[in-house]
Amino acid sequence: MTLGNWFALLVALVVAAEVVRALRHRALRQERWRRFFRLRTTSWGLGILTFLVLVALAAPLLAPFDPNRQLDIVHLTNRPPSWTFLLGTDPLSRDVWSRLVYGTRVSLGIGALGALVAVALGTLVGALAGYYRRWIDAVLMRGVDVGLALPRIFVLLMAVALWDGLPFAALVVAIGLTSWFGTSRLVRAEVLSLRQRDFVVAARALGAGSSRVIVRHVLPNAAAPIIVSAALGVGNVLLLEAALSFLGIGVPPPDASWGNMIADGMPSIYTAPWSTFFPGLAISLVVMSLNGAADGVRDALDPREAP
Amino acid sequence: MTGGVWLLRRLVASVAIVFAVITFIFILIHLAPGKPCSENLDPRVCTLLTRQFGLDQPIAVQYWRYLVELAHGNLGMSFSLRRPVWDALVETVPFTLQLAGAALVFDFLLGLGLGIYQAARVNRLPDLVLGNATLFIYSLPTFWLAPILLLVFGEKLGWFPVGGASDPIFCPQVDSLYCVADRLWHLVLPATTLGVVGAAGTARFQRAAMLEVASQDYVRTARAKGVPERQIVLRHQLRNALLSFITRFGLAFPFLLTGAVLVETIFAWPGMGRLAFDAILTRDYPVVTASALIASTVVVAGNLLADILLGFADPRLRVHAAADADVVTA
Amino acid sequence: MLRRSAFSYYIVLTVATLGACERRGGCTTAGCGTLIDAAVVEPPTLLPPSTEDIVASDIAEQLFLKLADVGMSTNTVGDEDFQPLLAQRWEWDGPLTLVFHIDPRARWQDGQRVTAADVEFTFNAYNDSAVASPFRPKLQRIEKVTQRDSLTAVFRFREKYPEMFYDAVYHMRILPAHLLRSVPREQWRTAPFGRQPVGDGPYRFVRWQAAQSIELVADTTFFLGRPGIRRLIWRFTPSLPVAVQQVIADQADIREQLVTPDNVERAKAAKQLAIYPFRGNVYTFLSFNQRAPGDTSKPHPLFGDRDVRRALTMAVDRASLVKSTLGDLGQVPPGPISALVGIWAPDIRQLPYDTAQAARLLSLHGWRDHDGDGIRDKDGQPLAFHILVPSSSGLRKQYARLLQEQFRAIGVRAEIDELEGSVVAQRTGSGNYDTAILSRSNDPSPGSGITQSWTLAGFGGSNFGRYYNPEFERIVQRAISAPKRDQARTLWRYALETINADAPGIFLYALANVGAVHKRVENVQFRPDSWAALLRTWRIPPDRLIDRDRVER
Repeated sequence: MTLGNWFALLVALVVAAEVVRALRHRALRQERWRRFFRLRTTSWGLGILTFLVLVALAAPLLAPFDPNRQLDIVHLTNRPPSWTFLLGTDPLSRDVWSRLVYGTRVSLGIGALGALVAVALGTLVGALAGYYRRWIDAVLMRGVDVGLALPRIFVLLMAVALWDGLPFAALVVAIGLTSWFGTSRLVRAEVLSLRQRDFVVAARALGAGSSRVIVRHVLPNAAAPIIVSAALGVGNVLLLEAALSFLGIGVPPPDASWGNMIADGMPSIYTAPWSTFFPGLAISLVVMSLNGAADGVRDALDPREAP
Repeated sequence: MTGGVWLLRRLVASVAIVFAVITFIFILIHLAPGKPCSENLDPRVCTLLTRQFGLDQPIAVQYWRYLVELAHGNLGMSFSLRRPVWDALVETVPFTLQLAGAALVFDFLLGLGLGIYQAARVNRLPDLVLGNATLFIYSLPTFWLAPILLLVFGEKLGWFPVGGASDPIFCPQVDSLYCVADRLWHLVLPATTLGVVGAAGTARFQRAAMLEVASQDYVRTARAKGVPERQIVLRHQLRNALLSFITRFGLAFPFLLTGAVLVETIFAWPGMGRLAFDAILTRDYPVVTASALIASTVVVAGNLLADILLGFADPRLRVHAAADADVVTA
Repeated sequence: MLRRSAFSYYIVLTVATLGACERRGGCTTAGCGTLIDAAVVEPPTLLPPSTEDIVASDIAEQLFLKLADVGMSTNTVGDEDFQPLLAQRWEWDGPLTLVFHIDPRARWQDGQRVTAADVEFTFNAYNDSAVASPFRPKLQRIEKVTQRDSLTAVFRFREKYPEMFYDAVYHMRILPAHLLRSVPREQWRTAPFGRQPVGDGPYRFVRWQAAQSIELVADTTFFLGRPGIRRLIWRFTPSLPVAVQQVIADQADIREQLVTPDNVERAKAAKQLAIYPFRGNVYTFLSFNQRAPGDTSKPHPLFGDRDVRRALTMAVDRASLVKSTLGDLGQVPPGPISALVGIWAPDIRQLPYDTAQAARLLSLHGWRDHDGDGIRDKDGQPLAFHILVPSSSGLRKQYARLLQEQFRAIGVRAEIDELEGSVVAQRTGSGNYDTAILSRSNDPSPGSGITQSWTLAGFGGSNFGRYYNPEFERIVQRAISAPKRDQARTLWRYALETINADAPGIFLYALANVGAVHKRVENVQFRPDSWAALLRTWRIPPDRLIDRDRVER
């Protein structure tokens, strides 16, 4: 780690803390923000997420080595953490810290893409089912039941096994395509209760078309479950990617993702635990932070929730 | 609507779902290019297998044949395992159910216990520490936890066996009380790995539910009347906890059946997950379709059972319950 | 909370009490003992001709007898070093005729006598294309097997060569004709006999718990001597590190291949284990497919060119790769052979590690980085290909990543495809691949293995890359037929140097086997070509019996 790397790291930490502080200032004045920051875990979660996003953006500044370079396969494999290799080296003599930093880009990107697909699809289906009700609702919700009856890993494995040379981006989209069922149910419930509300009835009476009503009036008020689903969805996708990497079908080598770092380091887990510990910790941190942030969003947008 | 009509409708819907699942899997398999002739290098054997299993027929014909065979109770022959699919699957089902059952029991008991404990000491130090601990465990990848448990409790301390489902010498079959205990002993580590993430989620959920109930009027009244705390917890909150758990476990079921592949692989637990996983990778279509069939049947039956139980316990809940998106199923 | 801890207390108490009751078994003499082998991959069947799987072979070794077997020297030339098994004695009746006299004491486990009819039946089955036995090509030079009388089997060969006896005895395990005659040959793959075998060997099959374990028990009336260990159990654990853990935690007794230096270190630290190194019989290589994927009539756009293959081979620092992954537990092989094969010599000429020359060779053939992306290209096509790796082998996956980096350093892009073992077998078998990291296990004789994998005879068989050099084939033929040992060695050396120069693959490593066995077991002998071949001679002295040895069942 060079001085420049340390400096960049410090800057990222400070900026993340400052962002959280600035947002907390808002809490002093606005009710919603005050509810958002009610729990301590939310502040920490938000801070950690901001920090990780900054790390992802500034990866070249923070990583002293090329993440894919095998530095010295005879002498530098499985080295423990030291000043040169902050988190040690992996069985292929690559710097764990550099891989972790660049892996942040990959993992967060995968999480975001997968969650985006899942939430978009789930919201669409849920909104349609909740708004139009009757046979559309029945058909769509039966479809959701079918989707829920099969475990995701099963379907994803089949997609990978059956299509040789499936590009990884397609796999991430597939992850999204298999993760929207829970969201759709939530959105449907929310839309069902919202469609009776005055402002919706008024909009319809004024002659607004269905799609306009859904998009302009219903969905913004159903934001709470959607945002919470999105936040938790990212965590789910990350854990799923880690599982797929462990099974050998995650991000292809040599690029690093937190999941495939754990998979690569598994054979040496007892003799060189650092190459699996730190990516695992990173995944846990992100999922924890997302849960914390989701708690905050839930509190802010939906005051009816229990303490 | 009356109970009978509702049940009938749900049964029909359940069958339809299972049917839809099989059709989906079938289509998925046949969409992909490539032949299923896995191991045999001799092209003559390959042609033989193709002819035997009718793999060169159009999809619709194969589908119809499959359904006909299914109606006769014939699930086909596995290419990779070299035995009838039924034999291979039926052996794994008890193991899978034991693991899933144990994981659920562990999930419920630990989660409930933690939730009650935390709610009783809300916002004090134990609550905060446990709250963060459960959040952390909830976020762990299961295959990360497994080797650690194996190392500590299996290898170093020697309290539990390192993998396997039973003692191969003394208990190749479970035919005595000793062997039942042996199976339970082998279940501890894998069920813990599988259930601990769920337990953390349950704990968080139960804590919130406890706090909500505790602030309700009827509980306050009971407390004011001098009813012992223990009784209040047992009567009101336990029942609600059980009900909400039942609602949520329906979602966890699919994962526990075939998604528990990682746990089954690491602990050498001979369940359906591993079987399905190997079958998918070797493109052993009969086994894949049969696993999907059995898994979805169990899931749908489990959900149906859960709904029936809920319907009996609390008529208010006799609506298609909204899912709790907190359940992490990866 | 209290309820829960009482519950678990009850369980522990029950286990403890019942454990104390049932575990005190009765077997306390010599000939007791239970050994558990921590195996990884479950075999598909136990019917010998239907599978090449190594674990199946180890188990079949205990259940079925060969006519004779190699000795500890694993010399395969002539017949002096062979041990009689099913055949009590033999003689040559002319240069092409071999006569075996079957031991009259040999019995199948259902009581029937083993006869020459079984031998004839076995040969016909192994040779039958409906059975599609992977051993069939190795028996090509035997013309037929007949029975002269119930205890005399006659082998007739097509030609005379030094390893005639070896071919007659080593590849086939004699099968019970009376039990298998009725099974249609094309159903042998899936025959129930393969899951409940009946043999004539030192051990009897007891049970096969699918995906869990296979149990064998000693046949105390075995005519060559009662086996020392009473019970053998193979236990299947899909994850190699967990299997090693079982042995270290004293929940298994044998782990015949520790593979990585880490595992060896941990096993050495375990107090109850003894470590046994023995010559390895496996070599691993990166196979270049010289024909176009999916169309064997056309050459491969990259690997059809000998110089490209040579360049890629020179770009890889094989010695460092071995050092990095295996430490001292592996060596760079001087050709497609393992240390087991006697023709191994470290001074056989190979392509050197020379990245400069590799780069020059590629540039010479027009592969230059025209577009500045770090990857060489020619006519708009990048120098890129796929490496197939079976996902079950951690070692090969690691090698794939190391190779990827070595190739990247000279401007070649390799993508890694990790696929299930049988899918890799199918893709390589049908020629539908660019490169693949494959392992071959050697017979003690170089002849059959090299012919199968690297000559015209292996097209459609194990010669996936379709390497063909008529000069190489001529030398190999002469080496196989060479009457004297020294002549053979020189010819083999010449053959290996020829194939090294052609670079049909990069010969990556030959694994040195290191096995771990519980200290209490005596007389542990690992025969280099098959560790389990002499299992029946292992013993546990009565004063060293532990709990699991004493079970009386």
